[in-house]
Amino acid sequence: MAEREQFWSAPPEWETAEITRAGFSARPVLGLGQVLVSGQFDAARETLAPGAPEAGLWSVIEGDRYLVRIARDRALLVTSQPLAIQSGWHAQGFATSPADDGWSVFELGGEGLRDVIAEAVSADLDRGSPSAAVQFAGTTALLYRTAENRARLHLERAVAAYVWQWLETRKG
Amino acid sequence: MQLFSCPFCGPRDETEFHFGAEAGNVRPEPAASTSAEAWADYLHFETNPKGPSREIWVHTTCGEFFLMERDTVTHEVKGSQSLRRGEA
Repeated sequence: MAEREQFWSAPPEWETAEITRAGFSARPVLGLGQVLVSGQFDAARETLAPGAPEAGLWSVIEGDRYLVRIARDRALLVTSQPLAIQSGWHAQGFATSPADDGWSVFELGGEGLRDVIAEAVSADLDRGSPSAAVQFAGTTALLYRTAENRARLHLERAVAAYVWQWLETRKG
Repeated sequence: MQLFSCPFCGPRDETEFHFGAEAGNVRPEPAASTSAEAWADYLHFETNPKGPSREIWVHTTCGEFFLMERDTVTHEVKGSQSLRRGEA
């Protein structure tokens, strides 16, 4: 039987991976806390992260604790360190699913950032959207910014190597 | 490229959406007294209108199911509406 492992290119070493070109750079962001929150959004924010800002598509977010909105009733709570939150239902009307390693996070930057993003996303970034979930290079991702020319991309871990390779092969 | 409008996310590319069903195709109940013909009609026979159409679509990135009114000839989208209770 064929060694099927050889069908796939080896994933990068995430601890050392980086893309550096004139006008564009990318690096994995490791060690973030990520908790998927489903249910009543306002109750979840009040309970888990009072006053935490909310990120939509291409919006600029600041701080080390914020909620990336996915849908009406779903968001990803992102923190600088993993949180000790139990998985399960909360009486306030929401459920939590710790997903620290479930999503890979890339930080993209540089003056050419917008050109690279334009190749991957067809949504009107200037118009924005309450939901940060968008089709990115054919796969669903969460896309927002942490500064004017610095974006964060959350991807389900299974597609991270594909998107990284996609980023490596951009001309911009 | 055509833009569809998700009631929550706003205008997005058509590739982010998936057709669900024609609106108004109500599942016959109770199952015990539903004839085979009525069940087959519910499952397999669409109205497939030429022109104005009311359809259920899903926005795959956020998971929202909603009602969309569009014209199947001109592809003009008349509007979309949430299916949430009190908003439909």
